[in-house]
Amino acid sequence: MTARLARWSLLLLTIFLLAVWWPLLKDLLFEYRYGKTDLFYSPVIERFVYKELLGEGHQFIYRDQDGTDYDRETFEALIPFIYYKNMELWGRLPLRLAGQTFDKAQIQAERQVLELEPVELPGHAPRIQLFPLLEANPGRARLRFPEDIMRPGDRLTFINSDANRIDPELTRVFTAALTEAGFAWPVQASFGRVSILKAFDAGYFLLDRTGDLFQLRRVDGAPEVTPVPLPDGLAVRHLKVAENKRGDSLGLILSEDDRLFLLAQDEDRRTAAELIPLALPGYDPDTMELKILFNPLYRTAIYSDQREITAVAMDRQFEPIARYSRTMAMAEPRLVDRVWEALVPFSLDLHDPNGRYLRLSLDVHGPLALPAIGVALIIAWLLLWRRGLRLLNIAPSLLLVALTGLYGLIAVALITPETPQGSAGADRRLGRAPVPGQANA
Amino acid sequence: MMLFAIFLKEWLKVRWVWLGLSVLHLGMLLYLYLVLRHQFRVEHSEMIWYWAFELRRLLYEPIQSLPLISGVLIAAAQFGPEMIGGRFRLSLHLPLRGDLLVWSWVAFGALMGAVLALLDALALYWIVGQWFPHEAAVSAVRTALPWLLGGWIGYFGATLALLEPAASRRLIYLGLSAAFLALLFQHRGYQEYDQVLPMLIAIALLFIPAVILPAHRYRHRS
Repeated sequence: MTARLARWSLLLLTIFLLAVWWPLLKDLLFEYRYGKTDLFYSPVIERFVYKELLGEGHQFIYRDQDGTDYDRETFEALIPFIYYKNMELWGRLPLRLAGQTFDKAQIQAERQVLELEPVELPGHAPRIQLFPLLEANPGRARLRFPEDIMRPGDRLTFINSDANRIDPELTRVFTAALTEAGFAWPVQASFGRVSILKAFDAGYFLLDRTGDLFQLRRVDGAPEVTPVPLPDGLAVRHLKVAENKRGDSLGLILSEDDRLFLLAQDEDRRTAAELIPLALPGYDPDTMELKILFNPLYRTAIYSDQREITAVAMDRQFEPIARYSRTMAMAEPRLVDRVWEALVPFSLDLHDPNGRYLRLSLDVHGPLALPAIGVALIIAWLLLWRRGLRLLNIAPSLLLVALTGLYGLIAVALITPETPQGSAGADRRLGRAPVPGQANA
Repeated sequence: MMLFAIFLKEWLKVRWVWLGLSVLHLGMLLYLYLVLRHQFRVEHSEMIWYWAFELRRLLYEPIQSLPLISGVLIAAAQFGPEMIGGRFRLSLHLPLRGDLLVWSWVAFGALMGAVLALLDALALYWIVGQWFPHEAAVSAVRTALPWLLGGWIGYFGATLALLEPAASRRLIYLGLSAAFLALLFQHRGYQEYDQVLPMLIAIALLFIPAVILPAHRYRHRS
């Protein structure tokens, strides 16, 4: 009995490992570098244009939303704010668009990219909840990390990194400043950008117990707390802080109901001002990467999962003026994908494309895998029958193959049934008749 | 009494290897302590914290293979001698069911490995806690849990391969164990196994019943 249990444990272990390694093996053998479609709004033709890789090598197409193809240089000239350095090289600056003229300095001053990826969202990646609160007024050319780190909790604890000990004075001063500003402890979530390679420091945004949001900066060593005015009913899920030279926004706010807002900046004080809603139909922050491209004329939000890409062009006031969606070339299933899926009834995905946590996600391949299961069953039956086993004895193994297809067949072939007197195959090779009904199939 | 006798025999078999491994673990943990101390002497503390928390650099990776090495060596010390000169057959004639005998052996071996794993976990917590806040020390231990599970897989993989009489089946067991082990070292930062680890541990428990099969095959073949 325990030998049978042992064999079945090994069968299950084998099937599990095959199901996890199956997609990893495919990626190793047949991974391609298609990547996502590059989609833009052309200020020249006022149409969406895109660049896409269609296959192996360098099969790029440069096309607009109406299906007109362009050569690379013409395509780049359609999005001159993106390729402004090429425009300069080709002598096409200053640009004349929409009755206005733009030189290099103007373009540079207005360009900006804001990004938000699923992996950045809370719960999508592990993060030790300790954050450096930079000095916002360093009095020198660049920012630097402080010798202490902030631990948001029932109070705002500061830990000195040289001594690895709590700094009671900083803790008291910063906690008191937040309390005085009306902060309801404990800290529910903290948002900031941990980098010294940025235009300035906007500090940290702390969500309190009641869902109110406060911006905390360290200015000349002292706390500066600014309550962020949230629209009624807005529950903050995430805040992507993105300090930038343009100076009119501090980042993006995502609500619990997946609405996205631009967090405007009080230009003089580097603090949060009002929230500007962005109308992005079909945007799913848990599965879609988002980019917002700023240029002197338009703002374009582009968001995509592994299949669809959508772009919304907006004017400078973030009012939508055009929208376009398409299925990306990378979403077109290849023959190898179909064959790979048809060979096995399911697989287990270890890596999450939208997060850093490893997981075991079951991917069922459906009726496509039925023919392969049938073939696996016949081979398994032949294999076991050749070992002199009766149908009744091999029925559990065949049931396993029926449920797991090729995985089950490989497992049964590797971990063959045992008999108390040795394997039936060994008996056969030795010219003895196998003992009926004694196999642990 | 029988169980005590079995454990005593296993202890006599593994004691030198286990003591050697204990020295190796203490040596590696001391090395980790010195490496971290050195790091904090030559670099600014706030930069190291930035690497650790934001860039997700694992400063304690030198010990990641230690449990695996220990698991394999404990199994080799326990079952290597059994496979020389057919001693295993003699052991199977003890007045105890074969499966219970094998399970008591692996229980002892796993216990010996668990003591080393506990030492690693406690020492890692303490060492990281010397230079980092409590959260980072907890995170280090959680990050190291799949490596500790690697010790379990290494132990049972080696046990299966050593007890198995047929060379081809030995390769299969080694292949399965290697495929499982490779799943435990896929990290790119800290705590990425937090969600999947309970499932991996549950599946790794299948090795406990599995280890009976090669003993069964040994008994009925040779």
